[in-house]
Amino acid sequence: MQRRSALQRLIRGAALLAAASLPYGVARLLAPEARAQNHNREHNREHKRNHIRPPGALKDDAAFVAACIGCGLCGEVCPPRCIRFHDRDGGGKVNTPFINPEDKGCTLCNKCMAVCPTEALIETPLDEIDMGIAQIDRAACYPWVDRGICGACVSVCPLGERAIGFEMWNQYRPIIKDGCVGCGLCVEVCPEPSLPIWIVDRAEGTVARHTV
Amino acid sequence: MSLTMGTPKPFALWRHLNKLRWLSLSIVFAMLVALPFIHVYQTYTAAHAYDLLAPAEKQLYDVMETLTAAFTDDPAEDLDAIKGNTWSGSFFGLQLSDPLAVAGQMAAGLKLYAPFLLTALIPVLFTLVLGRFFCGWICPATFLYELNTNVSTWLARLGFKVGNRRFDLRLKYAVLGVGLLLSAATGSVLMAAIYPPAIVGRELYYAIALGGFGAGAAFFVGTLLFDTLVARRGFCRYLCPGGALYSLLGRYRLLRIRRIVENCNDCAKCNAVCEFGLDPLRDHFGQECNNCTACIAVCPTQAMTFVLRPTDFPKQGPGHLGKQYRRAHPDQGAH
Repeated sequence: MQRRSALQRLIRGAALLAAASLPYGVARLLAPEARAQNHNREHNREHKRNHIRPPGALKDDAAFVAACIGCGLCGEVCPPRCIRFHDRDGGGKVNTPFINPEDKGCTLCNKCMAVCPTEALIETPLDEIDMGIAQIDRAACYPWVDRGICGACVSVCPLGERAIGFEMWNQYRPIIKDGCVGCGLCVEVCPEPSLPIWIVDRAEGTVARHTV
Repeated sequence: MSLTMGTPKPFALWRHLNKLRWLSLSIVFAMLVALPFIHVYQTYTAAHAYDLLAPAEKQLYDVMETLTAAFTDDPAEDLDAIKGNTWSGSFFGLQLSDPLAVAGQMAAGLKLYAPFLLTALIPVLFTLVLGRFFCGWICPATFLYELNTNVSTWLARLGFKVGNRRFDLRLKYAVLGVGLLLSAATGSVLMAAIYPPAIVGRELYYAIALGGFGAGAAFFVGTLLFDTLVARRGFCRYLCPGGALYSLLGRYRLLRIRRIVENCNDCAKCNAVCEFGLDPLRDHFGQECNNCTACIAVCPTQAMTFVLRPTDFPKQGPGHLGKQYRRAHPDQGAH
């Protein structure tokens, strides 16, 4: 008799646990992770990042996802509204912020870092912000292939001389310098549809080669 | 001897607290709708390009300018005073967060981060004194859920089948436990995806400022259907992890509702009106009660009042104005 009641209690407990985890199943179903991973891998292959974390974000993305509570405050104070949020493509990253520089670049106003309640975005001085680094495809950029004069990326850069400039022997060809923090404004304004300028991880950047 | 002479009367204003509660819920919800519009307006002002706006955007700009011009000269900076939602927000420089956000983040990161911990201090202190007051007075999802309860009541009157099943109230504690364990296992704050107040705040922002509802909206509609078809206020009572945390924190709350047995006539309107399906008629409130004061407002004989006690009032039996009590005590007679 006692064994049976213990068994019943066990079954009831298991049913309770299963019913309790149902909402999580639904939430995970709405946010499938598999697609997100493939999506990211594709972009990693191209070294092209269009899901950049906001400035001051923790470098380790797993730590960032653990620290972010998805409150949306960073997006809500962002003056150019460049901060977007992972939606159904996010999996565990759902509701965490990102910047797509093709869409809108970051103006480095520091508001998101100041407002973040957790340690996901840490207030960082301008020089130490590291969202990546811009890279120019010299086979597609108009001045570089002698198809015209542009300079949009150079004129829009909020950091100016230390981040981007013109080549010494041809004052129309833009070059990236070490001071670039990867805000992505240059990507936003680039008029060439194939986007010969984009943001890559600092480690993947070829600044040294390009500035020689 | 008149029974009503010596019995305590509840403070008269407490009958009207339910209206104040609806005002509070409406203000919170209206703020969540207004903040994204304020944010959009701020981005327009920050861009200094009124001429480039589309006609609809210009209209929004003009309306917001008329509304805010009296309060600020610099919308891009000054309107940042109130930002965020009930999940986490900043209120005139004061950062406030939901205790569940702190618990979930601590579980996901497996470490303490003191500045964020402190943002939940004020809500936790209020909860220790007032119990689950967040659920009844502030939660933007409650605003929609209570409206949904009214809709269900109309549907029931029209002859539709409306569910009112009962489950184990401890289910939500299991949700909270499973949620924290899964947060620790996956390293992301999963609770944010299934916690209705966080969903409502976020989805309103997505819909207004970012041009479309996100995945959470579908989940929230699911909870509304659950409330209508399966159990009244079912998500709050049986599944909400935040409600579970608030219930635990508010277990020994100081402010409680108490039935004055001398004034009670056993009409059971309090039981009928209780959104959380509690049993005020038999002095059963427990840690689930969110001090919403609906039972105080509905009581026709002023038998409900507030009391300062860390535990529930012991069972007092049938109300003295009710038939059952008068049959048992014929000597006391009617007044």
